[in-house]
Amino acid sequence: MVAQPVQKVFPLTLKITNLPSSNSSRPWRIPVRIDCYLSHIKMAGLSFDNFQRNQYIASKGVAMPKATSTGTTIVGCKFNGGVVIAADTRATAGPIVADKNCEKLHKLSPKIWCAGAGTAADTEMVTQLIGSNLELHSLYTNREPRVIASLTLLKQHLFKYQGHIGAYLIVAGVDPTGAHLFSIHAHGSTDVGPYQTLGSGSLAAMSVMETQWKENMTKEECIKLCADAIEAGIWNDLGSGSNVDVCVMEVGKDAQLLRNYITPNIREQKAKSYKFKKGTTAILRESIYNLVDVEETEIPVPMEVDA
Amino acid sequence: MSNTIASEYGHTDTSVPIEHRFNPYSDNGGTILGIAGEDFAVLAGDTRHTSGYSINSRFQPKIMDLGDDLVMSANGFSADGDALIRSFQQQLTWYHFNNQNKKLRPSSAARLIQHLLYGHRFFPYYVHTIIAGLDEEGKGAIYSFDPVGSYEREQCRAGGAAASLIMPFLDNQVNFKNQYDPATGQARLKTYLKLDEVLNLVRDAFTSATERHIEVGDCLQIKIITKEGVREEFYPLKRD
Amino acid sequence: MSDPSSINGGAAVAMVGKDCVAIACDLRLGNQSLGVANNFEKIFNYDHTFLALTGLASDVTTLSEVFRLKTNLYKMREERSIEPETFANLVSSTLYQKRFGPYFIGPLVAGINSLTGKPFVCGFDLIGCIDYAKDFVVSGTATDQLYGMCESLYEPGLGPDDLFETISQAFLSAVDRDALSGWGAVVYVITKDKVTKRLLKTRQD
Repeated sequence: MVAQPVQKVFPLTLKITNLPSSNSSRPWRIPVRIDCYLSHIKMAGLSFDNFQRNQYIASKGVAMPKATSTGTTIVGCKFNGGVVIAADTRATAGPIVADKNCEKLHKLSPKIWCAGAGTAADTEMVTQLIGSNLELHSLYTNREPRVIASLTLLKQHLFKYQGHIGAYLIVAGVDPTGAHLFSIHAHGSTDVGPYQTLGSGSLAAMSVMETQWKENMTKEECIKLCADAIEAGIWNDLGSGSNVDVCVMEVGKDAQLLRNYITPNIREQKAKSYKFKKGTTAILRESIYNLVDVEETEIPVPMEVDA
Repeated sequence: MSNTIASEYGHTDTSVPIEHRFNPYSDNGGTILGIAGEDFAVLAGDTRHTSGYSINSRFQPKIMDLGDDLVMSANGFSADGDALIRSFQQQLTWYHFNNQNKKLRPSSAARLIQHLLYGHRFFPYYVHTIIAGLDEEGKGAIYSFDPVGSYEREQCRAGGAAASLIMPFLDNQVNFKNQYDPATGQARLKTYLKLDEVLNLVRDAFTSATERHIEVGDCLQIKIITKEGVREEFYPLKRD
Repeated sequence: MSDPSSINGGAAVAMVGKDCVAIACDLRLGNQSLGVANNFEKIFNYDHTFLALTGLASDVTTLSEVFRLKTNLYKMREERSIEPETFANLVSSTLYQKRFGPYFIGPLVAGINSLTGKPFVCGFDLIGCIDYAKDFVVSGTATDQLYGMCESLYEPGLGPDDLFETISQAFLSAVDRDALSGWGAVVYVITKDKVTKRLLKTRQD
């Protein structure tokens, strides 16, 4: 269960002395919202300009437009000498499929990859932001980035936003300390374990993990297990579908992204072609523009010579 | 929305009784589609039965053969749909008893369904209903109903989860809406489609809806009504 | 009051063809069910990159100006026009900047990369998640209808003339089944060196 955010009004007692006194001698009790004072401070990063307005609109019972959410299946699993993550490729907006082949495997650094579920924009953006910070950190320290470092950056960022950034991630990678696999929830909590599943298809995927997983798997066994777990989500969870993407990270090797590792959902040939005869659509007006290159050249002005 | 019973601040306690409400309706997804031809009618539907993100069944056919060369489907909340069809079938049995097994015409069936639906005006059957058959002249007939019994005879109609995806396609390909004849510049003439053309349209409509709607898929059921009787066909759909 | 992104109505679609792209929008601006204007174009171009904006009309106008500013600054710094792919990322980050107080819009980007000649279309949600599609993208109050139409009519590798017919038929039939869209439509067909803008004959109800 996700905790419902509770709007708090902080009680604050102010003693106001120079007001024309009423017949009561009690100090005035005025509720003041603390964040009023903070609103003057310009903060870096995300802008909250319209947040209060939208909260107000939402409280009036107005439906808010829905962001693309990756009702997703993502998994990760460790093997002897590395780690594999995998994801399906369906992005949905309500019951409609918005993208049939989206990428849910994000690069944090060359050897640390991250699978994202939840609000699509959030998983994309949080991953780009932490990816940048990780590169800066790696340049600054002159060391390869570590999985635990990316985990910490991600969880601290997500905790700061109290679950409002709807990113549910499986982070995996190899670094000088070995292969690692973690999962992070939008509120900032993290889990460690030899196999992880997340998203709306996590139960379907976990049922495969719990029955098939064994210790000390080979790379091939692990890829097969992850792909099977994602397929369980694709077939049995309506929020997941289309293809399987896989990323393999092996100690001492470059990570390899196996985009569309399995494509079990190619659309069959349509019964008919729906090409129209030219002129089927009625046109009222037509205008044609030519795209041209504009080149600016400096023409040397001849020097004026005195007579 | 939020029933805050106790917050961290003692004085903000509000004693709101927690309300538990029973919601008698649910949505079981799925889509249906009916097209009338010159001497035939088809009613098609997918066989996926869902609730939320789960698939309850991949093969739960919902186009019912009622006898009398009538087929019917009530798409939406499947328990209501089943109940509606069963009560219709019972009424039909009584009709046969009382009228020496007289064949029920589609127009009469439609009027009966209107009354069955309107009888639940303030606690409606949560369904979009379509029936198909042949009229007195042997022409294909499609009748479609809203949840409280408003109905209309139509050339074609899509109902259920992906109705909004399929309906404009039918306007364009069955009634040739927005199409003009390039030679004359006049609106393209309405002609009756042949059965194989209609079946192709139905299959393409459903494969397209399967691509873009998560609650549509698994299997396509088509019932075809001709003067020879009712025939049924099945085609596989994507299962993701 | 209802959902901000469906107060004014409107729809748009973009498709990829063979060495060409097409983008279309309707012309309606309404206040709930009341039609207010039939000349509200929702497609804007920043040189050879085209942007369709559907949703809350005030945000449509605001954002089209914001992107005019940003592309002009880009042009001055880089001394070249912005490419569609670059512009898509600009749109994405601009929208995500307002993650917790979003603009109520659904943008589409279409164009042909002037360096590679590659056709490009993509769509976004209101907080900037990019939907890279190799076939078509849709947006607005008629999204369901447009998805149904495009999914069944579209086929890959259409030339400019065929693409025009396909996108037009898909768009017209879709908006005719949406009460909040229609009232005229424009279609742009974009090839490497030519842009053709056509005003379509549509139902006026």
